[in-house]
Amino acid sequence: MSVFDGLKFRKVYSPIHNLDPRMKFIYVIIIFAVAIIFNTIIPLLTLFLMQVPFVMLARVQKQWLRSLRGAMFLASFIFFINIATNFFTQGYTLNAKNIEDAATMTTRFLVLVESFSVFFLTTSPDHLGLALEQTKVPYEFSFAFTTAVRFVPVLAEEAQTIMDAQKARGLELEKGNFLKRIRNYVPVLIPLIVSAIRRSLELAEAMEARAWGATKKRTNLYALKFNKGDYVLLALTTGVLIVAVYTVLYVPVPTIRALLGVP
Amino acid sequence: MPIIETKNLSYTYPSASRPSIQDISIKVEKGEFVLITGPSGCGKTTLCRTFNGLIPHFYQGELKGEITVAGKNAAKQPTMEMAKHVGMVFQNPENQLFALSVEKDVAFGLENLGFDRKEMRERVNWALKLTGIYDLRERSPHEMSGGQQQRVAIAAVLAMQPEIIVLDEPTSFLDPLSAEKIFEVIYDLNQKLGLTVVLVEHRLDLTAKYANHIIIMDEGKICFDGKPREVLSKQETRLIGVGIPKATLLYEMLKKEGAKLGNTTPLCSKELADMVQEALK
Repeated sequence: MSVFDGLKFRKVYSPIHNLDPRMKFIYVIIIFAVAIIFNTIIPLLTLFLMQVPFVMLARVQKQWLRSLRGAMFLASFIFFINIATNFFTQGYTLNAKNIEDAATMTTRFLVLVESFSVFFLTTSPDHLGLALEQTKVPYEFSFAFTTAVRFVPVLAEEAQTIMDAQKARGLELEKGNFLKRIRNYVPVLIPLIVSAIRRSLELAEAMEARAWGATKKRTNLYALKFNKGDYVLLALTTGVLIVAVYTVLYVPVPTIRALLGVP
Repeated sequence: MPIIETKNLSYTYPSASRPSIQDISIKVEKGEFVLITGPSGCGKTTLCRTFNGLIPHFYQGELKGEITVAGKNAAKQPTMEMAKHVGMVFQNPENQLFALSVEKDVAFGLENLGFDRKEMRERVNWALKLTGIYDLRERSPHEMSGGQQQRVAIAAVLAMQPEIIVLDEPTSFLDPLSAEKIFEVIYDLNQKLGLTVVLVEHRLDLTAKYANHIIIMDEGKICFDGKPREVLSKQETRLIGVGIPKATLLYEMLKKEGAKLGNTTPLCSKELADMVQEALK
């Protein structure tokens, strides 16, 4: 069940992990917005490289590279679609401008992927649930969210057990054509759903027994607080936004082909 | 006044044809360690669910008779009200832990009750230390062993400082060694805090020595109710599917063979060993 490995959050302590998830989220949104207002490659590349120190500080290089590799297929797709449309709409010529435009679009996509992945790689689901709670999202929603995350590995393990049990009884999962293979999974899915429902009833019972819903005003063991690091990130975010807006308005950003002198 | 008292309690699950428990009348005194045992499907779990109002509120169905727990009518009070007085630990440790860290899970009940952060922190740490899992407080429950998870579940109800703690076969998912450790933790709580313990368990070998009150059920009815040494030495208990401690059985065999042993029925191997040593002197 390696598919679910990515959802297992491992507790790591780093200055980035300890940041307030709300501040990190604002940062990601600003990076998004800035990536969208620019359509030249140099600022986009700068944005891309700006995330690297975060990754290094959080020590999640490996996972980060893996998520980028995952995005490579879509990135190359974007690159070629751009080249192709430019090629067909601008007189069947392939020049430096076409390539640079396509590269710009691809970099923009990578900036989006990258900042999102940094956010999710460095924010524990617990923190995220807490952030949801403290931004006045009803507790039922954030509870559902954290419980779902909590039970992913449990259900994955259970699916594996059921698969093994059914295989031991002669079920062949990898046999037949595509449709047949999907149908092969029915004897795995039904017990899995039944047991998930049973599990949810037990959970509900345990929640009742621990005074679920006793007061309207539920409290929380943890509180999110703005620390020094969060103010630094706030300053950085504001800085990025100001510089970006100023550049868009007043600084003509050269293209790479202008710098190189290629027509 | 008994802390748990039922009078002619009967209950039928919705869409069940016959009652799961019938005419149950028991009294549990404050500070007792009560052991409820009996063959599977005899209504032990059903009885436990009436103590904190899960029956009839969560399960619906038909409840007859009277039940008073911690001075409250458990059939009328909602479960969230009873939860302050009765802590309940379930069979499967996995399905009673919700949070992504141990301390957050232990705080769950207190959060629901609206405690302020300072007191919550104190109570959580207190409960974690009592159950010996303070060092694991930042771990995620699903990375822990069954025994550790069950300790978290015990700490979680303990943090709410109930007067009664009900444990419904808390060790059926555990190996004998972890089970023994769990029982030690429970006994410790009973002794140190004077907590009333109601333990549903099959493994009398491990638990009979801790109990000072035993209830044996069969087919929804109470068969025996009394002190462990008296109840377990009765021959009639052999006919119900109850796992009489081996030490007790061996003691009887030796007695029958004419061995000169004392007259108190032993409940665990250590007691029997002491008796044999005494006789050999």
